[in-house]
Amino acid sequence: MTPVTSAPARIILICSGKGGVGKTTLTANLGIALAKLGERTTVLDADFGLRNLDLLLGLENRIVYTAQDVLSETCRLEQALVKHKQQPNLSLLPAGNPRMLEWLTPEDMQKIVKLIAAQADYVLIDCPAGVEQGFKNAAMASQEAIVITTPEISAVRDADRVIGLLNTMNVAPVQLVLNRVRPKMVANQDMLAVESVTDILALPLLGLVVEDEQVIVATNRGEPLTLNGSATAAGKAYHNIAKRLRGEDVPLIDPSKERKGLRARLMNKLRQSGLF
Amino acid sequence: MAAEWIPSVDRERPHLLKLPPWSEAGDPGHEVSDALLVAPSLRGAVTLLCGPWPLRPGDFRRVQELLAAASLSLWSVWCQEEGAKVAAASLGLVVDKPPPHQDLIAGQGGQRQQRNTALDASALSIHQGTVRSGDHPQATGSLLVLGDVNPGAQVSATGHVMVWGKLRGIAHAGRSGDRTAQIVALHLHPLQLRIADQVARGPEEPPPHGLAEKAHLVNESIQIDPADPSWPLGCVPAPRPGLSSGGQGTKLA
Repeated sequence: MTPVTSAPARIILICSGKGGVGKTTLTANLGIALAKLGERTTVLDADFGLRNLDLLLGLENRIVYTAQDVLSETCRLEQALVKHKQQPNLSLLPAGNPRMLEWLTPEDMQKIVKLIAAQADYVLIDCPAGVEQGFKNAAMASQEAIVITTPEISAVRDADRVIGLLNTMNVAPVQLVLNRVRPKMVANQDMLAVESVTDILALPLLGLVVEDEQVIVATNRGEPLTLNGSATAAGKAYHNIAKRLRGEDVPLIDPSKERKGLRARLMNKLRQSGLF
Repeated sequence: MAAEWIPSVDRERPHLLKLPPWSEAGDPGHEVSDALLVAPSLRGAVTLLCGPWPLRPGDFRRVQELLAAASLSLWSVWCQEEGAKVAAASLGLVVDKPPPHQDLIAGQGGQRQQRNTALDASALSIHQGTVRSGDHPQATGSLLVLGDVNPGAQVSATGHVMVWGKLRGIAHAGRSGDRTAQIVALHLHPLQLRIADQVARGPEEPPPHGLAEKAHLVNESIQIDPADPSWPLGCVPAPRPGLSSGGQGTKLA
């Protein structure tokens, strides 16, 4: 029942309730960003049913053993951990096959996480969607959590439910990441504003990620944005999240204001160049 | 040393389950499961007497599960530690009603209390913290929520429902038929309101800023008005011996 507390590592659950809001993308990008900052980071794919963290990290073809093999002790943890090609500080423990869902218990999950935590600074757990056993297993092995949501009422409602459950499972602190914000739609009041979401969920906002096509490109390539594309809006946001997670004071940028700033800057530049 | 059973003598009162003196190394789950081994075939509601045990929501859940497995249900708790009270309240358990048969706990004979204190409709339960989607705290008597009630969440009470925050979910006052029950919130913007057997959809427009409102029954339909500043303080009397109890709610002062 008690989360692993003896370990020195920070064990962070990344969850959302609703599917498709960006859990796995956040896990992959945050993992890379933390590794770049010099933290020994292990990402654990707890989504046994529909695993794709390995795809996003471009590590699919390097998997030999999985969490299942570690549990059944057919291999050592070091053998199962897949080191990232460019960021050796980052390693992945792949999910086993979907049949693991039938027998995996919270104790198993805690055992795996304890093993990983002994040799890492950060353990990021990519939680499955939903609030069923898969979520409970992952949450019981975690100390703190990041809840990710998008500015849609269904995603916010599900995030709210998940936060309530995390509170009863003694997972704290719980922080919020708001994903896929479209500043233009927010300005036109076609999308929930950042304040409306934080007003309902009442959690500290760890980061804002604007909608960015580059995320799709990066996913399909298996190279998270934080790896190379740090200049993109979303890449920058993920880096800032990693820094805030380590306790650095990075001011939150309001995307609607940022947009105005960019346009203003461009206009200024054009003016200065004497085109107008 | 296991928790100790004090079985109820009549059907209307919960059985008491008393945890042993608190020790750092103690595990409430073990204490309760040990007690269940020696329990006579008890059925029905249970009041857990925690004393100074600093229990958390996880612990209460565990106890709930253990009791449920033995066809018992955890109905209320009685504890000294503040954190435990809050934890129990967050799970919708009735907190801190004086134990129904105190004489038995003290181990003295004495006269049994005439009234079923624990089921007194005028009692006030406090839920501390935000009620999130999917949660459903229920109270016998009135319920005070110190926090918001989010969309998708529900709160209900046999008496009044008061929300010291934003009510955006569903609230049900007078659940067992009390038509004088009211719903009061600092920001009343619910999905649905229910008073006794009446149901109403919440207003589309958000309420005016900084104005507390109340919903009450006027001619068989739910109506929203500005909240009375003297309410609810004047109308939730402290439980008094001799007050009739049961389905009746309190009358407005």
